[in-house]
Amino acid sequence: MSTIRIPFGPQHPALEEPINFIFEVEQERVVNVTPRLGYIHRGIEKLAENRTYLQNVYLVERICGICSFAHAACYVQAVEELLGVEVSDRARFIRTIIGEMERIQNHFLWLGLTAKEMGFETLFMYAWRDREKMLEVLELISGKRVNYGVNTIGGVRSDISTAMLEDIGDILHQLQDRAKYYKSVCTKDQTILKRTLGVGILRPRDAVKLCAVGPTLRASGITRDVRSDYPYAAYDEVPLKVVIYKGCDVASRILARIDEILVSVGIIGYALENLPSGPIRVKVPTRVPEGEAISLVEAPRGEDLHYLRSDGSEKPARLKVRAPTLANLPALCKMLIDVNIADIPVVIAGIDPCIACAERVMMIDVESKKRRTWSGEKLRRYAIEWYRKR
Amino acid sequence: MVSEEIASLLQVYLFPGFLFLIVLAFFIEWFDRKLVAKFQNRYGPLHVGPKGILQPFADFIKLLSKEDITPASADDKPFLLMPLLMFALAVTPLFSVPITGRSALVSFEGDLIVVMFIMTLTALIIFIGAWVSTNRFGTIGGVRAGLQLFAYEIPLNLVMVGPAVAAGSLSISRIVQQQTGGIWFVLTQPLGFVVFAICLLAHLQWIPFDIPEAETEIVGGWLVEFGGRKLALIRLAKDLELVLAGSLLASLYLGGPSGLGNLHVLIYLIKLLACVFALSNLRALFARYRIDQLLVGAWKYLTPLALLQTAIAVVSPW
Repeated sequence: MSTIRIPFGPQHPALEEPINFIFEVEQERVVNVTPRLGYIHRGIEKLAENRTYLQNVYLVERICGICSFAHAACYVQAVEELLGVEVSDRARFIRTIIGEMERIQNHFLWLGLTAKEMGFETLFMYAWRDREKMLEVLELISGKRVNYGVNTIGGVRSDISTAMLEDIGDILHQLQDRAKYYKSVCTKDQTILKRTLGVGILRPRDAVKLCAVGPTLRASGITRDVRSDYPYAAYDEVPLKVVIYKGCDVASRILARIDEILVSVGIIGYALENLPSGPIRVKVPTRVPEGEAISLVEAPRGEDLHYLRSDGSEKPARLKVRAPTLANLPALCKMLIDVNIADIPVVIAGIDPCIACAERVMMIDVESKKRRTWSGEKLRRYAIEWYRKR
Repeated sequence: MVSEEIASLLQVYLFPGFLFLIVLAFFIEWFDRKLVAKFQNRYGPLHVGPKGILQPFADFIKLLSKEDITPASADDKPFLLMPLLMFALAVTPLFSVPITGRSALVSFEGDLIVVMFIMTLTALIIFIGAWVSTNRFGTIGGVRAGLQLFAYEIPLNLVMVGPAVAAGSLSISRIVQQQTGGIWFVLTQPLGFVVFAICLLAHLQWIPFDIPEAETEIVGGWLVEFGGRKLALIRLAKDLELVLAGSLLASLYLGGPSGLGNLHVLIYLIKLLACVFALSNLRALFARYRIDQLLVGAWKYLTPLALLQTAIAVVSPW
């Protein structure tokens, strides 16, 4: 039997964002896979070099709609490190709370999408309805549902008043019940188990070797979480349990994320109870001294890394973002080998891909398999040249 | 003489023929969509007509008005014929199902076999249509449709034989008449009823057996190259198949249009809606199986159960 090459994306109902995979299949089995990025590159890192440090807070927030808080928090942490500023306790707690709320809404969204990939539309609708409640809370606190604009250099911009506490507590309680219910559904429903158990295996050794991050890694039984390994915000003060599952398959990834929702609810509850008083932001110097900083945040999808270099001017000399999806892509390709065509969407969904996050300035030439980095000028010249030839 | 001919023409074209069946098909699609939407916490069709009841018809008209595309590499004649055949094959068996009385429009000894044959043929037409469309997703969907046929066809036909054995006739109308006097076969053959409903889900390509279409996997599968008028016809054909599935459930196991007095059509509709309600319920309840899982499940469980039910039907006194 010869292999058939099946294109998957950049436009495909199972993908929310454009990425292309070429699958070589034998009958219904995948024997090889080639990913191709680059359909949604927006040049954010270059843009960041042309904006001031404060303007960049709002730019990096738009790297990703779902983990907007994680990116912004990561960036402001890097700037604060360069400035040598300590943010207030209250701001640290609020950052923790919003970060966990973002994780909850992301995981509900992801649960729905994964259910849809399995053809389980009812669970999709239910999970998204529940996510709506979390978005309402975020709107209550920040005034916005997606790009919250909570972070700023030196603290946060929105405070959590005591009047809000009751509403937030109510909704968190409901979400906790829903998450428990979904956990029982996902461990008992035969159709879900049939589609997820033993599907998309990523062995712990491969997971570490291929630098997987986040729930994808933790579902392979590796205890690694930025929140506990390199605590930021208030994570050294809240009760944090790192969820790991040893199944290495999609079922474990589902359960790991549902458990993370429950852990997050606990963290938010504790943080709201022990919210320190004080200012939510401190005044920061306007001038950023020369130097470089690396900042890590555990985004809902995994470890998010921002590298920032300052040359003493009012704009950053370089901002490098390594989003969790990019780190998970090699592991994803490993998982996809030897799965059924029918399992491709659910395996891809299993890493919770966010392509817009992953698209940075690296260029991969698919034909020659060579990697190169071009300057803007060279790219411009190449583009003109290319169009002239056509 | 002439008036008799006019009456039979009216029967074929208006009631309970084409017009009635097509209107019924649109209504049943709306019913199913609305129901599944309610199960899933949505509104479903809302705007066209009261409670969106005209939405399926509006969709049909919209699809008719769309551009009709035939892929360059497709085999155009079979590609063109496929939707027509599908529509014809969906509507034909409905003439053998009793609706207005205890006897169907076209009723003869052995029409059950014809219905079985046509239901098998539908799956084959899907396979051929997908094959001639030459799309890669389409081909995979078509092959899956063919494989799915291997899974559900034998148990489906076996459990359709059950009521026939009990009634001592291979005519659907006779099976209905047998139940009118006596007991519904769902009570004597409950196992057959369940297997029949599951096989019908597979035949309709509904969740959890929407494997040949599997939007998130193969982008609509065998449907992928069909658009415009062709898609409109195929969708209508699928609605008619749903009507057929509900009608067969009602006729073979629930006594068809019989029961209280002479309100045959009303009773038929109530039973049909109840059957569609049950099928829609199942549709909202599951995730999609994989094709290999369906085949294994069908041969391991459905076929032996169907055989068992047939054996019981043969030896039991009812």
